[in-house]
Amino acid sequence: MQRHRALFTVLALVLIGSLVVTIVRAAETPRRGGVLLAAIGADAPSLDPHQEQTFATIELVAPLYSTLLQIDPLQYPKIIGDVATEWKIAPDGLAYTFKLHQGIRFHDGSPLTAADVKATYDKVVFPPEGVRSIRKNAYTAIGSIEAPDSSTVVFKLKFPSASLLANLASPWNVIYPKKYLDKDPNYFKTNIVGSGPFKFKNYTRGSSFEGERNPDYFVKDRPYLDGYKFFISPETSVRAAALRSGRAFIEFRTMPGAEVDAIRKQLGSKIVVQETPGTGLFGIAINNTVKPFTDVRVRKALTLAFDRYTASRVLYPLASLRDVGGLMRPGTEWATSEAELQRLPGFGRDMEKNRAEARRLLAEAGYPNGFKLILKNRNVKVPYQDFAVFAIQEWRKIGVEAEHRPLETAAWFADGRDTGSFELIISGTFNYIDDPDLFLQRYTTGDPSNWGRFSDPRIDDLFSRQTRALDPSERKRHINEIEKIVLDNAYYIPGLWWRRAVVHWAKVKNYVAPPNHFSNQKLQDVWLAED
Amino acid sequence: MQTYIAKRLLLIIPTLLGAAALVFVIMRVIPGDVALLIFGGDQAGHIDPKQLAAMRHRLGLDQPLIVQFGTWLWGVLRFDFGNSLWTGRPVVEELLVRLPLSLELALAATVVSVVIAIPFGMLAAVRQDTWVDYVIRVISIGGLAIPSFWVGILCILFLVIWFGWGPPLEFTPPWVDPWANFQQMVWPIVTVGYRYAAVTTRMTRSTLLEVLREDYIRTAWAKGQRERAIVFRHGLKNAMLPVITLIGTEFAFLIGGLVVTETVFTLNGVGRFVVDAVAHRDYPVVQALVFLIAFSFVIVNLLVDLTYAWFDPRIRYR
Repeated sequence: MQRHRALFTVLALVLIGSLVVTIVRAAETPRRGGVLLAAIGADAPSLDPHQEQTFATIELVAPLYSTLLQIDPLQYPKIIGDVATEWKIAPDGLAYTFKLHQGIRFHDGSPLTAADVKATYDKVVFPPEGVRSIRKNAYTAIGSIEAPDSSTVVFKLKFPSASLLANLASPWNVIYPKKYLDKDPNYFKTNIVGSGPFKFKNYTRGSSFEGERNPDYFVKDRPYLDGYKFFISPETSVRAAALRSGRAFIEFRTMPGAEVDAIRKQLGSKIVVQETPGTGLFGIAINNTVKPFTDVRVRKALTLAFDRYTASRVLYPLASLRDVGGLMRPGTEWATSEAELQRLPGFGRDMEKNRAEARRLLAEAGYPNGFKLILKNRNVKVPYQDFAVFAIQEWRKIGVEAEHRPLETAAWFADGRDTGSFELIISGTFNYIDDPDLFLQRYTTGDPSNWGRFSDPRIDDLFSRQTRALDPSERKRHINEIEKIVLDNAYYIPGLWWRRAVVHWAKVKNYVAPPNHFSNQKLQDVWLAED
Repeated sequence: MQTYIAKRLLLIIPTLLGAAALVFVIMRVIPGDVALLIFGGDQAGHIDPKQLAAMRHRLGLDQPLIVQFGTWLWGVLRFDFGNSLWTGRPVVEELLVRLPLSLELALAATVVSVVIAIPFGMLAAVRQDTWVDYVIRVISIGGLAIPSFWVGILCILFLVIWFGWGPPLEFTPPWVDPWANFQQMVWPIVTVGYRYAAVTTRMTRSTLLEVLREDYIRTAWAKGQRERAIVFRHGLKNAMLPVITLIGTEFAFLIGGLVVTETVFTLNGVGRFVVDAVAHRDYPVVQALVFLIAFSFVIVNLLVDLTYAWFDPRIRYR
């Protein structure tokens, strides 16, 4: 009897064990079906990623399109093919040849060929009149694009480019069918014909955007989801409430620390928070063409007085700004080391010493009692206004009285970028990858993103050298030198690097948050553990 | 009466024209240019002057202002408000997506307000300086003092924290799914209705108090009439004129003025659409919306004026 009982116990244990293993395996096996519900903080200005720079466009439409290359959804910043299966770079670095997947079809049934890739990149690199291409400056190395047959695309370069592959993996350069581009290059501002894992279903401007599974997607067995749906709400607390109530399963951009804590407290293990650094630098542009900011001593005083280390503690819970760094993201291969950085103006940790030096410089420049300035800003609370309020109280400590002037977005663009009608203005830069071309071009002469309107031939020369430098260590030297010149001369006041906190329900699987909110938005590998 | 109505209807034309012209000029005077914005995106970008000029031409912005206004006006006469400069879709189409929601919210909030405010305003006036009056005054002053959006956020947080439930994020018309519509709309209706009711309660109370002190009311008391007859027949009817004006104005305001409430409850209504269109310098949309809002005000005012005659037969229109 006792032997039977022991046998029964062993059998039961084995059964329970195998059941547990099966359950665990099942939990990790991708499950098909379900609609991913997401909350998003803004509506798309248009649906054409070639012409937009906002997450509001790319998050909504990225699942509907393919790109030539892409950043690996699971391993940022590794570059892998999307419609390209393989590529070869000529030994002199002046030709890139890409082979395309066969049998890819757009959602209207037409085949995706090399002619479509060529037409897409022609639009981006050599835009026809009346078509905006805000990224064409990133492709100045490209001389021509050729499609010798239906599955081969060749990019011929004028000079070697260290950043070309990264730029061809841009999530913004989605592939459009040539026939629609030929008819109207602006067609995709309001229409969608992609070849991505999802097909367009419905869009109610200002309210919601929906995609449904593309059964003919060229990647076998993908996507797992039946569809996705974004709810648009500009109010952070509303998006947080949507997450808390399960009306949305994920918010891709970021959530401020305070909201993250509240959500964690309420939902515990039902929720996952993926915190990553962010490829976004938030700072202040100084108009180098107006007095007294033509004087390097005044500019330096302003950057010296800004306590970045306290800002990090104060602003992170409110505005998701946290990491102290220079012009390239701290911790990346291109960043200046922390020790070197601390020797540059405004990065030393002894704030009393910094402020004393700032006062001395102001006195030397003829402002012993400080002066008044106007700080223009975008009338968006997170992170713009929180950041400005902090800067203003820091400057007060050296006698500089700043008047905060928030402007609606249109006027902010008009004053900052277009007319230069400002003294100081809050501005930042956000990119999909830590690429030096993308981050440093704004410090070159005449670049439209150079809101501070400064010109330093040394920076222009170094920029041009770094973009051609195929040897990473040589490139890093040039990059660090650019950074040193910008910070030594206080052409721009870097504030803090963005920190991303993606909050999602635990049932959302296989989404790995990269350090930006532009890439890994195709959702082809994402699945839901339950409805 | 008919002549009066005809005259008032004719007066709508210059009123709407005036409003449209004013907005047309203001939109072009304020800084920011839709062509630049279309080239702008979220951050800085490259702008080629040739491309900018081509875009201005495509949008018709290189025409003289008077021609632009004339073209727009000619379209309005044919009920064609043009296309949105941003989406390229007809403005009327964009508007029809949002109007049912705004109308439902405005109508329901008005009903809630009237149902609550008039009895409570009366009660407060009739029981002046008693505990009933104090309670009603405190609640109504709260409604005036507390911003609607804050009440809205509290509403949502309360539901989410205590019940782990939040209102749906997308509008479902009542004729499609009444229950889903109710789940979403009840909270904004309560939020907006509370403020609206507070204003109306205060107005009903004070005007009724004023009327109840009139000589003819004293005469009615002296004649031995019952309280109910005095308050309802003589008092309330005469006190209603300013209350009706207020209800009418508030209703018209609600159609396009609930930006913050719409934002809090993720309602895709006319208010958010106006703000979005102004921010994007979407001229045809802004002009059409101002036209609509001005039209609502004019029509509601006309209805209010006509209602006066029913409440006060001494008023005769010529």
